[in-house]
Amino acid sequence: MPELENPFQETLLSRHRAEPCTVVIFGATGDLTHRKLIPAIYNIAACGDLPPQFKVVGFARRDKTDEGFRTELEEGNRKNSRQGHNDELWKSYAQCIHYHRSEFEDLEGYKALGRLLDQFDVERGAPANRLFYLAAAPEAFKPILEMIRAAGLNKGVGDKWARVVCEKPFGKDLATARGLNAVVADTFAEKDTYRIDHYLGKETAQNIMVLRFANSIFEPNWNSRYIDHVQITCAENLGMEGGRGGYYDTAGALRDMVQNHLFQLLSLVAMEPPTDLSADSVRDEKVKVIRALRPLVGPEAVGKNVIRAQYTAGSVDGVSRVGYRQEDRVNPESKTEPFVALRLMIDTWRWQGVPFYIRVGKQLPKKATEISVHFKKPPQVPFATSNMLRNSENTLVIRIQPDEGIALRILCKQPGQAQNVQQVKMDFRYSSSFGKASPEAYERLLLDAMAGDATLFARRDEVESAWKFIDEIEHAWHKSDNPPMMHEYPAGSWGPKEADDLLRADGREWRLL
Amino acid sequence: MSASTLNDSDLGRLGLETPISRIDRALKQLWEGDEAKTRASLINLAIYTEDSSLLASDNDLLDHVAAEHACRALLILALPDAQPPRARAWIQALCRPYQGKQAVCSEQISFVLEGGDAAQVQNIVFAHLDSDLPLVVWWQADLTQHFEERFYSRIDTLIIDSSRWSDPAKQFDALRAAMSAETADFDVRDLAWTRSHFMRTALASCFQDAAALQNLAKLQIIRITHLKSQRPAALLLAVWINQRLGVTLKLELIEKGSGPALQSLVLEGEGVRGEVRRDCDSSFIQVCTSCGQHEHKDLLPADVDSDAELVSEQLSRFHGSTLYSSMLPFVRSMLK
Repeated sequence: MPELENPFQETLLSRHRAEPCTVVIFGATGDLTHRKLIPAIYNIAACGDLPPQFKVVGFARRDKTDEGFRTELEEGNRKNSRQGHNDELWKSYAQCIHYHRSEFEDLEGYKALGRLLDQFDVERGAPANRLFYLAAAPEAFKPILEMIRAAGLNKGVGDKWARVVCEKPFGKDLATARGLNAVVADTFAEKDTYRIDHYLGKETAQNIMVLRFANSIFEPNWNSRYIDHVQITCAENLGMEGGRGGYYDTAGALRDMVQNHLFQLLSLVAMEPPTDLSADSVRDEKVKVIRALRPLVGPEAVGKNVIRAQYTAGSVDGVSRVGYRQEDRVNPESKTEPFVALRLMIDTWRWQGVPFYIRVGKQLPKKATEISVHFKKPPQVPFATSNMLRNSENTLVIRIQPDEGIALRILCKQPGQAQNVQQVKMDFRYSSSFGKASPEAYERLLLDAMAGDATLFARRDEVESAWKFIDEIEHAWHKSDNPPMMHEYPAGSWGPKEADDLLRADGREWRLL
Repeated sequence: MSASTLNDSDLGRLGLETPISRIDRALKQLWEGDEAKTRASLINLAIYTEDSSLLASDNDLLDHVAAEHACRALLILALPDAQPPRARAWIQALCRPYQGKQAVCSEQISFVLEGGDAAQVQNIVFAHLDSDLPLVVWWQADLTQHFEERFYSRIDTLIIDSSRWSDPAKQFDALRAAMSAETADFDVRDLAWTRSHFMRTALASCFQDAAALQNLAKLQIIRITHLKSQRPAALLLAVWINQRLGVTLKLELIEKGSGPALQSLVLEGEGVRGEVRRDCDSSFIQVCTSCGQHEHKDLLPADVDSDAELVSEQLSRFHGSTLYSSMLPFVRSMLK
C-alpha cells in the first residue's frame, strides 16, 4: 500500500521534521552519549523538532534497567543541555529512552533488540525508521555492523529505512578505512551510511557555502587571480587532560584532525559551485578538491611541506604545562605529533599556484579555529609607502569557533592632512547579530540523519581520498629511512619556528589570531 | 485621542529627548560616549501605534525583541487628532551583555507625532532608517488613510495582529487591497496566525500516527476553544485545516474569558480523534490521538505567548509564503 502523506505536515517543512524513528546508540554508556547525543536529542525535543513517537535505545554491555539508564542520562543532561533542563519535558522525553544490554559480539542480543524494535512498532501502530548510531570504540564497529546484518536489522521494515551513523575516527589509514567501508557496505547502502564530522554541523562551516555562492562579490574573486593564499588554523590551548593521551598518542594531529575536520573545511573553501544542494552534488564537488591535492610523496617532499612537532614544558594562560612526552598515558618515547603544519597545493584551474597552509596543534596560546583568505595586494598603491602596506592585504576571516563570525580587513585613509593608509576590520559576529544561540552541531546532524539529508556527512570516496593523501605523509614519517624531523615548541607558543619558516620561505606569515 | 493622555513616566522611559533635526548627531554621541558598547543592526523595525496607552508596553517589547534581533528600532506614536501639531523624539540604546561585560546594543528612536498626516509619518520613518537594511513594520493601528500606498510600497515585511482589530472584516478588506496593489511587495505576518503555529505543529504530529492517518477521511468536525478576543486566530486555524484536508468540516468555536489564546483543538470523526490541548499554566501541550482501541499521547513544547516573543519568532523567519494570503478570502467569508 502506498504511504499516505500527512497533509498537515506539508506547510510546516521549515521545522525540518523527520518521520517516526527509533535511534539505537551503540556505546550508550560512554561519554559521547552522556555529553553530546542525549542532550542534543533533548534539545531537539525542546525545540519541538523531534519526530513523533520517537524512541532511543541505549545498547551497551553493562547491566542496567531503563530507569537506571534514564537517571544517569538525566544527570548528564542537567550538566550539558544547551537550553537547560526542564523537569516536565525530561519526564516526557525520558519515557522514550530505553536500555538494552548485550555484548557487541552476541547475535542473540541483536535478535532481542530486533524484537524490542518490533514491539515499539506495534505500539506505534506502524513500522518506524531505524537509525543505528555507532558511538562505541572504533574497534567495535566491525562486530556491531556484522551482527546488525546477521540479525537482519540492516533492512527497514516495509517501506521504512534503516541507517547507520558512524562516529570518527573512520579508520586509522587507507587500508583500515577501506576495510571498514567494506563492512559498512556489506550491511548498509552508501545512501544509508552517515559518517559524522561534527565540524560540518557548526553554523559557520555551513555558512561557507552561503558566503561564497549567495554573495556575488566573493565568487568572482575566489581564484588564483585574486587570492594569494589561504590559511586554516585549528588551535587548542589544552593538552592531554582527562586521559585523552591514550587515544591521542595512537593517532596524532594529522590523523585526528587534518584527515577529517580540516580537510572538510578545506573542501568547502576550495570546491566548485555544486549544481544543486543535494547531498551528492555537494559531496561530488568536495571530493574533487581532495583528489586534486598535489600528493606529497617521499620524505623529501613531506619534509619540505609538512612540519610536525611536539610541545615541551611551558605555560598556557600563566599555568605551567608539562611536555607532550610527559603527559598522562603518552609514551615517553612517543613519535606522535600534537602539532602539524602543512603547505598544500590544489591542482585545479581555479587554485593553480595558491598555497593552502594548514596548522593544528595542542597547547597553543588560545583555542580558535579559523579560515583566512588572503587576497593579493593591488599592483600599485600611489598614496602609500610599501612599509605601510606590509601585511595589509585584504583578508577575509571565517571564524569557526569560538565566537563564530566573519571579518574582512580592508585599508582606509587615516583622518588628517596626510595620505596615510590604515588597516580596519569589518566584523560580523553571529552572537551579537543574532541573539539566539545556534544549535549544537550534534543537534543539526542528528536531525539531518533522521530526515535523510546527508549533505553534512562524509561520503566513502571522500574519506578514502583523504586517507590516501594522509597515508603518504604518515609513511614518510614512520616507514622511510630518512624521516623528516620531529620539531619542538614550548607549550603556550604558536608552534615550532620551522612552521613559521614554512611560510617565511614563501614570503608569507601565519596570521596572528 | 488627545495629547493630554500622554503619561510623563511613559515618555521618560523612551530615553533622551532630542530635537528631530539633531537625532543623527545625538546617536553619534551616544556611541562615542562609551567605548565598551558595540552597535549591531540587521533590520529596521518600526512599530506604529495610535494608542498612547501602548507606549510603555511597546517600548518594553522593542527592548525584548532587540535582544534577539539587532535592529534600528523606531517607535512611532501618532495622535492625528491632537492639537496643536507637534513632533517630539527620543533616543536610547537597547543593550544586552555580551561575553560577560561588553554590551551589544541596538538603537531606538521614538517619536510622538501630535497632529500631522500620513505624509509626516512617512517622512519621519524614511528619514531615520538604517540604510540598505530591510524595513519591518508592525502596524498596530487600523489600516486607515495613514496606511497608504507610498508607505507600504517601501515595506519589506508588514506585521499585523488581526485579533486586535475592532472590525476584522473591514480590516481584512483593506489588507487585501494593499496586498494586491501593483507596487506592494511586502510579506504579511499576522500574529493571530503565528499564535496557532504550535497547534498546527502538534496537529501534524497527531496525524503522524499511522492509524490516525489512515482514517483522515472520516473526520467530520473541528472544535476549537479560544480566548474570546482570538476569534480570527481560531478562524485562520480552521481555514488552514480545511485547506489541508481539501474539505469543509463542521466548525465549532468555543469562546473562553481567560487562559491561553488558543486552548484546545479537536478533530473528530467516526472512530478517530485527534486532540491538542494547552493547559493554562503549562509551557507544553498535550497531544492525544485515538483510533479505535489504539491511543497515542505525546508532549510537545508550546510556542511562545507574548507579543514580544511572537514578533521575535516572526523575525526569525524571513521567507515569504503565499499560504496566508491564500486563506484570506475564506476567513473573510466566515466573518460576514
